[in-house]
Amino acid sequence: MTTFVELLLGGLSMGSVYALIALGFVVIFKATEVVNFAHASLLLAGGYVTAVLHDDIGFWPALAVGIAGAAVVGSAVEYTVMRRYRGSDHSVLAIVTIGVDILLTTELTRRIGTDVLALGDPWGDKLLTIGDITIAQTRVAAFLAAALLITAFLLAFRHTTWGVAMRAAAENPQTAALMGVRLGRVSLSAWAVAGSLAAVAALFLTVFPTPGLERATSLAALKAFPAAILGGLDSTTGALAGGLIVGVTESFATGYQSDLTFLGRGFGDLAPYLVMVVVLLIRPAGLFGTKELARV
Amino acid sequence: MSDPTRTPRQFRAYAWLAGSLLLLALPFYLDRFWLQAGLFAMAAAIGAIGLNLLTGATGQLSMGHSFFLAVGAYGYCVLAGESGEENGRHLTGLGLPTWLAAVLAVLLAGAAGGLFSPIAGRLRGAYLGIATLALIFIGQHVLFNAGDLTGGFNGRDVPVLSLFGFDFDDTETVIAAVPFGSSEKLWYVGLSALLVGGLFARGVLRGRPGRAMNAIRDHRIAAGVMGVPVARYRAAVFVLSSMYAGLAGVLIALIFQRTVPDYFGMILALEYLAMIVIGGLGTVAGAVVGAAFVALLPQLLTHYSDSLPLVADPGGGGVTPGEASRYLYGAAIVAVVLFLPGGLTRLSVPTVRRFSGEKS
Amino acid sequence: MKRRARRTNAPRTGAALLVVLALALAGCSGKATEGDGKDSDGAAGGVKTGQGVSDKTISLGVLTDMTGVYASLGKSVTQAQQLWADQTNKAGGICGRTVELTVRDHGYDPQKAVAAYTELEPDVLGFAQFIGSPFVAAVEKRIDGQDKGLVLPQAWSANLLGSPYVRVVGATYDIETVNAIDYLLTNKRITKGDKIGHVYFEGDYGENALVGSEYAAEQAGLTVVEQKIKPTDNDMSAQVAALKKAGVKAVVLSAGPRQAASLVGVAAAGGFNVPIVGNNSAFAPQLLATAAGPALMKDYYIASSTLPIGSAEPAPKKLATEYAAAYPDDVLDNGVVSGWTAASLYGELLKTACENKDLTREGIDKALLGLDAFSTGFGITHDFSDPAAPSTRESVIMKPDSKVPGGLKVVQEARVAEPAQSFTFGG
Repeated sequence: MTTFVELLLGGLSMGSVYALIALGFVVIFKATEVVNFAHASLLLAGGYVTAVLHDDIGFWPALAVGIAGAAVVGSAVEYTVMRRYRGSDHSVLAIVTIGVDILLTTELTRRIGTDVLALGDPWGDKLLTIGDITIAQTRVAAFLAAALLITAFLLAFRHTTWGVAMRAAAENPQTAALMGVRLGRVSLSAWAVAGSLAAVAALFLTVFPTPGLERATSLAALKAFPAAILGGLDSTTGALAGGLIVGVTESFATGYQSDLTFLGRGFGDLAPYLVMVVVLLIRPAGLFGTKELARV
Repeated sequence: MSDPTRTPRQFRAYAWLAGSLLLLALPFYLDRFWLQAGLFAMAAAIGAIGLNLLTGATGQLSMGHSFFLAVGAYGYCVLAGESGEENGRHLTGLGLPTWLAAVLAVLLAGAAGGLFSPIAGRLRGAYLGIATLALIFIGQHVLFNAGDLTGGFNGRDVPVLSLFGFDFDDTETVIAAVPFGSSEKLWYVGLSALLVGGLFARGVLRGRPGRAMNAIRDHRIAAGVMGVPVARYRAAVFVLSSMYAGLAGVLIALIFQRTVPDYFGMILALEYLAMIVIGGLGTVAGAVVGAAFVALLPQLLTHYSDSLPLVADPGGGGVTPGEASRYLYGAAIVAVVLFLPGGLTRLSVPTVRRFSGEKS
Repeated sequence: MKRRARRTNAPRTGAALLVVLALALAGCSGKATEGDGKDSDGAAGGVKTGQGVSDKTISLGVLTDMTGVYASLGKSVTQAQQLWADQTNKAGGICGRTVELTVRDHGYDPQKAVAAYTELEPDVLGFAQFIGSPFVAAVEKRIDGQDKGLVLPQAWSANLLGSPYVRVVGATYDIETVNAIDYLLTNKRITKGDKIGHVYFEGDYGENALVGSEYAAEQAGLTVVEQKIKPTDNDMSAQVAALKKAGVKAVVLSAGPRQAASLVGVAAAGGFNVPIVGNNSAFAPQLLATAAGPALMKDYYIASSTLPIGSAEPAPKKLATEYAAAYPDDVLDNGVVSGWTAASLYGELLKTACENKDLTREGIDKALLGLDAFSTGFGITHDFSDPAAPSTRESVIMKPDSKVPGGLKVVQEARVAEPAQSFTFGG
């Protein structure tokens, strides 16, 4: 039972980090209908800035700069690349983001080289023990930070002018533009928000129990793909739910792998994708995604 | 009847002639290294043609192309290989004649595509793209875990292709004073496979099915209203594209002489997407040009790294050839989409007989 | 109709022309077999030479990974080998020739690795380094069948044994794991009837190590609790939880440095105080600067087939000083030692082959089979006379220590555990 609760808590906390990344995807997708495969490199950029600066200026300022840095990188990608595309095929734009990702990731991994960079977080390897259950403080912090950020984001999305503009643009870009919504700004801000969320996620992906930021860290962003899809690409609630489902699935599949040997070892990586496929078979637009009305 | 396209056509015929001549003669001159690079490019071109039918012409984003390559490659090994011990593992093999195994492996890849069609038929755009990403993860899991069939992490040996009693292996056959090893021999297999695959795809694209596919891409609902059986077409294209990937997989297995699971991962799938975007979406020529670009660029950069400025020797600090080629092809994807929306093929081919701008 | 006729005509004439031309041109191809100068008796000093050896130079290939998953290993090994080549050449070279390393970085991409092998193979005598055992396996048939150049892989899997041309320098992972477990047994950290955990990578490395731990467990009456992981898994919480639940008394780790940091860190933080032993690849000095550093120095051990670079013995000390002088920005780790050892082995073989007046691949091979006591001063003597066995069955046991360069100090000198002596390969 203790194991079960520990795995559940660990899964929820990792899931909330995945949700942060998935939320970034969803925001960009809502604003521009583009699937952003460059998300992994935004994450790496945010983490890298934090890791490099924390020794000189302290952890919290470094984190702030990291978040801002990732937002700047995100906006820069939007401004210099995405905005210049004149076609209308969103799959092509998705492939462009793959190109951007290759560029950014190559540059960042070249800089990181063979190092494992510590991020200088204040939690270290301390644990929180409640009764029989122990969980790393970083995991608790991750859960709280993610919950805070997601709530703040959802509130902003509902109630601020920016949120209204974003939702209007997602609903119908032409009409929104006619009503005075500046689509360029909406998409720029979407990329910035996605970048900052990814930077926060980078922090929690690289603190204890993982050793630190290194070149393979960006691979973790891959787990946010199934999270975003299974929740529904155009649903912020979906990103949250999807992230948690992926986190918990992965945690259980890894934690109970010795009981699941018939599925082959190392099943934890695969499980989120299998859940995604099953969900898509039943609901092609994800759990919370907008269903398509046309049927041909 | 006066024919305004006569001169370009003649020019084209001569260009084709010269090109084919060159391609046929290459094994007599090039080193094994370049032949192997060329063979990889051919295999990539076949796979890219398949992906271009699916993603370029029909507008269905697939990120799982390397899964079907793996089905082709491993399918061939299992069908043609003999059962036995290898590296202390028991491997299952059916021991079929290799040509039959190659054909069946392609069909097997098609069948795998067919199995995925309940999903492929229902999802679109990004959803389909990421759902196909699941295929890669499933594929990797199976390749590593189904040791009896795949040989696990170290892969398994690829049986030598044998056609009409002629073995495409490394035993030297001297033709016109030039010793022919496996690369020289396979070169012609690759060329014929590419030719057949290319012509067939061109036929599909230029004919009725091609128009239907483009209609589905450009406006799915309108295509349905006009009487295109959208769901059936999408499933069929998915199967066809998987078969192309399967063929590419068989060829790659033959070139490698061993299948290695690491190869069939996500990077490969992304490379295929890069190929069709760089070369030009929706055309056979685009797939071929893109494949040549993506497959040969790293080889060129590595081989000539000594004489290139800005590219350092590995270990010497600075940008290594591997990194340089990644920068270049990342930038190529971005630049092509932004500045050359038709891909590299638009650079050279004169715009003759083009009305919609989508076919060649 | 007219159009169609023209279209079919041209290719047919073309095809005919083509065949004629191709055959005609082939006559003057550089690839034609007559007198291509290879395998001729070289002039300099009556020494027989072959591929990769000219009158002035000896070329060795280096197939490494400096931009992929094994980047940190690849960089150290390659730079150490470059250092060896530079020093050798400064001292006058070998056999009156300078040694040249041609480096190709494949970034752990199978296609690039196979392409790089194909590219270098005709122009080098052999390979002083080849990272990535799946890729070695991919070209092994060619190495054994036709190329016959000596390849020294930077991998210690028993699957590589058996070929006369692909030779493992050091103990294989299975033997190393047996020695590591034996260290725990002799120090009374575990005893008969105990459970031990084994966290291992999927793939060659981990699965070969598992063979060793299962053998050792069978010999000593232990039970192995398996946890298979992937190289991309960086958080070992789940594995630690599972092993804790199973009540293991020690853990064997056959994974990378990142997994070591996470596993040791998580175990220590959770009060799961059992000894943890790792294979030679399960440590990097960079880890000591991370949060897991203190935990790693407490009860974590590494088994390896060389003395650590931080050892006070003359050879490691000299290498450490010289490497640090040549590459001041780079970390000193055990990759440096293993790269140096492999390169020195090649140097030794070249010298012997030179004395035998046979600098061909065959000559190198003969020299290797005659080499039954090779030592570079790193604590272990290698015997290469049997291709079916690793060059040694000994392992050094080390412990992380941030005060020594390279971050490792010796806790047990090289020795063979009794079960390792009787271990048979490929069982």
